[in-house]
Amino acid sequence: MANYFDIDDILAEEELVSVVFQKAVNGVGIDPSSETDSVEPGSKVELPFWLAHELHLRQIATVKLPPSFNQKTRLELGADAACVDLRSRCPYFYEFGCKIAPLVGDRDMGSFLLSAFKNRYQEVLAKAHTAAFAAASKFLNLLTKEETNLYEAAQSSMAAFKKWRIGGPRFQRAAVLGRKRKPTA
Amino acid sequence: MAGQSDPHPSLFSADEVEFVAEDEMIEIVPNMRMEPLNLLCGDYGPFFPQMVTKVPIWLAIALKKRGKCTIRPPPWMSIESLTQILESERESQESFQVLPFHYVEISRLLFDHARDDIPDVYMVRSLIEDIRDVRFHKVETSLESFEDARSSAVRIKNLSAMEVNIVRPFVGRALQAFYKHGSPDLIPNPERMSNSNANRWQQAPDQGQRVCYELMHGVILKSALYEKDKGFDNDTRHCSTQARSCYIRMLARKIVPVFFGSLF
Repeated sequence: MANYFDIDDILAEEELVSVVFQKAVNGVGIDPSSETDSVEPGSKVELPFWLAHELHLRQIATVKLPPSFNQKTRLELGADAACVDLRSRCPYFYEFGCKIAPLVGDRDMGSFLLSAFKNRYQEVLAKAHTAAFAAASKFLNLLTKEETNLYEAAQSSMAAFKKWRIGGPRFQRAAVLGRKRKPTA
Repeated sequence: MAGQSDPHPSLFSADEVEFVAEDEMIEIVPNMRMEPLNLLCGDYGPFFPQMVTKVPIWLAIALKKRGKCTIRPPPWMSIESLTQILESERESQESFQVLPFHYVEISRLLFDHARDDIPDVYMVRSLIEDIRDVRFHKVETSLESFEDARSSAVRIKNLSAMEVNIVRPFVGRALQAFYKHGSPDLIPNPERMSNSNANRWQQAPDQGQRVCYELMHGVILKSALYEKDKGFDNDTRHCSTQARSCYIRMLARKIVPVFFGSLF
């Protein structure tokens, strides 16, 4: 529970996954297509990951592999990782991938994510410390949230260094100094 | 990726790195007579006119501001040695030349406070700028390639403090991600889970990953300038003691200006 309050972690768990119910559930309005407040066994529903995870733990539902990790995406990433628009598929691609892997029992997920990240990392690295802001916006649209964080960290540290190099006032005047006292009546 | 939304990705700001650099020693030629200074961070002096003595840069700058000394630029800050360094930096794409750990900060401090003491200041300045640009470009290219396919480790020698500080937020996070996705226990494996949780770090499965872990906690890329080939533990220890003594020195520094005020 180290990242219980981590907003990125919370948002990553909002991602929808499709689940197949194994047991009937009564008194819940989870399935929008059913007429009554109950879910039949075998019905397919899209649920946020945090709910699907709990249902999976209780063996009520099985989780299906989301389309952002299917074979087609893997082939695309294998062909040219840097050009794939991962943001539109899943803004928290890596985080979500790590979370979903145990549920779908995908043993290759780790190495798949690693190779995807490795290939895309070089692209981020090449642009992070140099590219001007205007040129970067198109490239930024392709990045997942994690990669954007990486990119912004590099940008801000470079900007901080440039600011230091150019210099400026070495001493900052405290706000309380030099303020005129209010005339007291 | 835990810690990715950390608002302070960089451990030190550029100003703080400069602050640490001010503790490097430099030679000055005083033009006044003064008793030795016994400060918390060391004893300096006694000072006699025209007698070269070694003091930390912060003290040198404080004296220089009051017109009590001239600063002798360090030997590497001459046109000959800088030209030579720049040439050999351009020649080899992999290795970095040996420069003082704080060369970026020291040169800026001297350019700001002691311009009149550096011969050919414009030339020296542009040479250092060139060297820094060449080196930083090399840092970027060398971060691209990993030593081998299995481990996520990069070895760069002779990096300087400011160069490390610039790439630290990026590299730290990238290595964290590599470590996370590279770890074999992404999927819990029943028989491994039972015994591996307790001593997971001790029996680190892959040397590369262990190095990666140490890198992200050890604050700094292996910058083997001062403590060559002594391994990570020395570097990390060096770092943490520096950070700790920083605060002690801050206290010491607070005392000094008051001291000077009463002296001059």
